[in-house]
Amino acid sequence: MKKKVLLVDDEKSFTNLLKMNLEQTGRYEVRAENWGEDALPAAKEFKPDIMLLDIIMPRMPGGNVVAQFQADPDMKDLPIVFLTAAIQRSTVAAHDGIICDHPCIAKPANLDEIIDMIEKHSVKAA
Amino acid sequence: MSEQTISVLIVEDSKVDSALLTKMLAASAHEKYRVILTTHLGEALKAVERAQFDVIISDLSLPDSVGLATVSKLRWAAMHSAIIVISGTEDGPVATQAVREGAQDYLVKGQYDAGELRHAIRYAIERHRLQTALQESEKHYRHLLEATTDYTYRVTLADGKAVKTEHSLTCAAVTGYTPAEYDADGGLWFRMVHPDDEASVLEQAKRVASGETLPPLEHRILHRDGSLRWVRNNVVPHHDERGKLIGYDGLIRDITARKAAEEQLVRSEAFYHALVESLPQHILRKDLNERFTFANQKFCDLVGRPLEELIGKTDFDYFHPELARKYQEDDRRVIKSGQTLEIVEENRAPHGETRYVNVIKTPIHDARGRTIGIQGIFWDITEKMRSEEQLRKANEDLRRSHEEVKAAHLQLIQAAKMESIGTLAAGVAHEVKNPLATLTMGINYLDRALLQKDKNVLLVLEEMRSAILRADTVTRGLLDFSAARQLDVRPESINGLIEQTLVLVRHKFKEQGIELVTNLAPTLPDVSVEKSQIQQVFVNILMNALHAMEQGGKFTITTRAEKLVRSLHEEGARTSLQMFRGEPVVVTTFEDTGAGISRENLAKIFDPFFTTKPTGVGTGLGLPVSKKIVELHGGSIEVSNRIEGGVRVTIILRAERAHEKESAAGR
Repeated sequence: MKKKVLLVDDEKSFTNLLKMNLEQTGRYEVRAENWGEDALPAAKEFKPDIMLLDIIMPRMPGGNVVAQFQADPDMKDLPIVFLTAAIQRSTVAAHDGIICDHPCIAKPANLDEIIDMIEKHSVKAA
Repeated sequence: MSEQTISVLIVEDSKVDSALLTKMLAASAHEKYRVILTTHLGEALKAVERAQFDVIISDLSLPDSVGLATVSKLRWAAMHSAIIVISGTEDGPVATQAVREGAQDYLVKGQYDAGELRHAIRYAIERHRLQTALQESEKHYRHLLEATTDYTYRVTLADGKAVKTEHSLTCAAVTGYTPAEYDADGGLWFRMVHPDDEASVLEQAKRVASGETLPPLEHRILHRDGSLRWVRNNVVPHHDERGKLIGYDGLIRDITARKAAEEQLVRSEAFYHALVESLPQHILRKDLNERFTFANQKFCDLVGRPLEELIGKTDFDYFHPELARKYQEDDRRVIKSGQTLEIVEENRAPHGETRYVNVIKTPIHDARGRTIGIQGIFWDITEKMRSEEQLRKANEDLRRSHEEVKAAHLQLIQAAKMESIGTLAAGVAHEVKNPLATLTMGINYLDRALLQKDKNVLLVLEEMRSAILRADTVTRGLLDFSAARQLDVRPESINGLIEQTLVLVRHKFKEQGIELVTNLAPTLPDVSVEKSQIQQVFVNILMNALHAMEQGGKFTITTRAEKLVRSLHEEGARTSLQMFRGEPVVVTTFEDTGAGISRENLAKIFDPFFTTKPTGVGTGLGLPVSKKIVELHGGSIEVSNRIEGGVRVTIILRAERAHEKESAAGR
């Protein structure tokens, strides 16, 4: 059974390509959202195993999205991984990959890196 | 005289009388007379102007002159002629008067014959000659007397008392009183003594009278004309054949002129002495053999020896040989050139500190103009020089603080610039990294999606990856450089950080044939740093070294602990120092054997985006970021060229004090 990955990033081209990359592996089902406020409704509908979340987004930044999810009883346990250009790779490394209690990947990142994180933090075992 | 012609001027208004006179003279068998006849005094006076007559025979009563006035007028007009007055009457008083007015004889008409007339003429001429001679002699004598400065007196004693005092004639010249006046007035000799000298004069007289032989006494007298005179009274006692004192001779000499000269000299000497001793300058004189001949008190004080001791000594007796030699060389220069020398030099008193003095040396000449030594005048200008130095220093301080203010101002501008750059950089980095992330995904997709992957496709993909990496590196560096961030410091071992960093690059050094030498101090205090940051600094430095030694070389890393003792600022080095002297620090040096950095580039190495590497190889942010990191840690980084060639990077970081505290607590 494929893992369900919810991508939330305002960068449409990025979400498109990442979706294509992940789906190409044949192991993931990916839904991409480009607005922070669309994340929770999409998650309720899509029921992902993990969410890759950008931080710097217009209207609703990643931090607010996280707060929304944590406030929601259905979604409060959903693993969230930050995938952001706002935090430097060295900073992430200095904090052992955890920023604000969540795993973090600094952009730009390789597909392998991203897959590693999904595998490591998603709820369902592969 | 009998062979001579006697010239006679007859002044007689009576023709009868003059004819008679002429006749009488012509009758002479022995003398010849040349006679000029005049009838008026005016006529006669004109005649004596024209010619000189041996004798003038004149009547007292003339048409233009009557009586004795005739005689006196003729006398004044004809000083060299004898005058015989002829009168019609015998008048004794008038005759005497006539002689007093200057006539040599007086004849009464009708009472003389030719012989008597000739006698009268002869005697009158002779008398006149004698009188003139006497007058000359008297005049001469008077001059002599006036020039006399000495006189003698003799005192005769009886029973120890003066019974008789005789003064020599010249006493008048010295005192204005004649011997007769002294004879007539027994107390005169004492009354003329100046009141202030009376006691000493009396004492001298008393002691001489008692038989003592005394040295001359100098005292003042009042001359008859009221002027003050100085005399020197030298007394010589007289003894009779039995040795008894019978009197004494005194020699009085007028020494007024000498006294005046002496006083003048004393005053003059006192003036110059006071001048020399009151001047604030040190004054000294030396002869041609460099021996002191004079020094004022100020110089004696400097040397610490009295003048008596100083005279005859040389500079070598009082000053350091080096100084003494210098002084004497200057003296010889002055003597040789005859020119005044003015210099500023060091002077060190025998037991004093070194002072700076202004010296003027001039040659001294004797009366014949020969150089006989030198005179030196010098004065202390140390204070002046010190205050000038202080002024110079104050200026320097002012200049420095001005520069510091300027630098601080620049730093403020820089800080403001950096803040806006930081904000800008964060924005730019975010906006650049997102497309980079997209591109990365694109490449990943292509990499997997392309079924037919020939060599060129792989190369293209690799080039694209590398371009993304570069763009990412630049944005990262930009963020590192511009970000104002808090450090997450922990005690770390510098040696450990170096070893860990070297693991990453050791193979590259090997590839380039660079000999890697590590001189790591076995025991080093920890440093409080953020590990990844300091490692980034090390990586930057190592990368620069690799670039600098592409043809191989030697790279030496040294660590040591020390207390900060020296100023870190050196010529040609750029540094920032935030540590104080005496602070315990850990010093890490990286030395390469590359080409070094040009002076021009050395000034720019910490400027962002300055790089000498080919485009795409260096970001121009390595050293600026390293500097920022080190400074954030309160340390300093210094890049300088080594004398031996190549570059030395020195990083100084504050040593961790934790273990010191522990050991202090343990006591």
